[in-house]
Amino acid sequence: MDKLEFYQRLAAILDIEEVKQDDTLTEFEQWDSLAILSVLAMADAKYGVTIKAHEIRSVVTAAELANLVETKKNQNAPGLVPT
Amino acid sequence: MKFSFRGKRISGLLVVVPANERSFLEDMKGFKVPEARSLKLKEVMGFDKRRVALPGVCVSDLAICGMQHLFKQGWLKSDEVDALLVFTQTPDYFMPSTSNIIHGRLGLKQDVLCLDSSQACAGFVIGLMHGFMLLEQESIKKVVLINGDVLSRKASPKDRSIYPLVGDAAAITILERDDQDSVIHAIAKTDGSRSEAFMIPAGGFRLPSTPETAVLENVGDNNFRAKDHVFMDGSAIFNFVQTEVPPLIQGLLAWTGDSIDSVDYFLCHQPNRFMLEKLADKMNVPYAKMPNNVVEHFGNNGSATIPTLMAFNLQKRLLQESLRVCFAGFGGGLAWAAMLLNLGRLNFNALIEYQ
Repeated sequence: MDKLEFYQRLAAILDIEEVKQDDTLTEFEQWDSLAILSVLAMADAKYGVTIKAHEIRSVVTAAELANLVETKKNQNAPGLVPT
Repeated sequence: MKFSFRGKRISGLLVVVPANERSFLEDMKGFKVPEARSLKLKEVMGFDKRRVALPGVCVSDLAICGMQHLFKQGWLKSDEVDALLVFTQTPDYFMPSTSNIIHGRLGLKQDVLCLDSSQACAGFVIGLMHGFMLLEQESIKKVVLINGDVLSRKASPKDRSIYPLVGDAAAITILERDDQDSVIHAIAKTDGSRSEAFMIPAGGFRLPSTPETAVLENVGDNNFRAKDHVFMDGSAIFNFVQTEVPPLIQGLLAWTGDSIDSVDYFLCHQPNRFMLEKLADKMNVPYAKMPNNVVEHFGNNGSATIPTLMAFNLQKRLLQESLRVCFAGFGGGLAWAAMLLNLGRLNFNALIEYQ
């Protein structure tokens, strides 16, 4: 998984210039239920994975969120390719 | 599970919405949410105006208003009602059933089957399936299907996750036999193991309403609700829709030999604009074929959202022409169901207000 691309997608959701791996998600002003829903949608559409809201709330940094998506993606059966 | 129905049609449609309108932006001011946040939610989710029943208004009141309009317009005669189905999760009483209440207040004939069913947002498609099955009986020539809810009355005014989104309505759909030998296909699915994602915990026999179940609890994000109130796990529902609905519709298209191109409209349940756009994206359906504007005008009015789409967006077209349409309902239960049919040349298709 291209982590840089993931951070760019996260930045687009948060409507900011850039997200760095060590950034704490809850410190972003725009990190709210709508942002979490948008992350669920992005993970599904771009990486073909289903994440639960409480899993997103349990991670702290952008890097941990990226790892969560990557781990789920690697668990997926072959054939479930991202669109 | 697959269903097919031969020689049946939807012949008319009337949607009744309360005249009382609430504004999302006004409601959000009550939650002390910064206006920029509310505007963002309005833009992304489509929350704007919604129609809400005034205190004391029940499903039967909305339905009777609609039925009397049908009689007055000459769109339905009272002695033509052979079966009256009421699909609601907010009945007037535990007993008797709301269909019997409506039957009595309208003074309908005794030769009639009255039936209630507790169905959520898949209730329109599941209701049509029941109605078409009843039309197999020789004595049943017309079925009146009523999809109605006053769920706003069960939403906590202090719960932002649901209060500003819910609308109330009753939709009346007339089903009858079709002299064309058309076939209607449907697929319905259920997963009761996820039933707690959308529920009203108290008020039934498992957990009767008491002073304790009316106590508002802090459920996080500064939202407060009681066990008497409706609860929805929004993100679980989102994941459910994105995971289950595309294969449901694709399975139906594959079964009938249809394609996204051969279908004029995908008329889906209307939780919010965001979810419908993501659903359209995932299925590669153009947004114009999957309208998503019910929530912004009426709120999410449960199993009446698909009829509201038809009456609000396709009012004239469905009177004049016949369209290839796919319905998809999904929500509490959990239940999800889709139906593919030729829809149109309706005898009537209208939306009225309950004063």
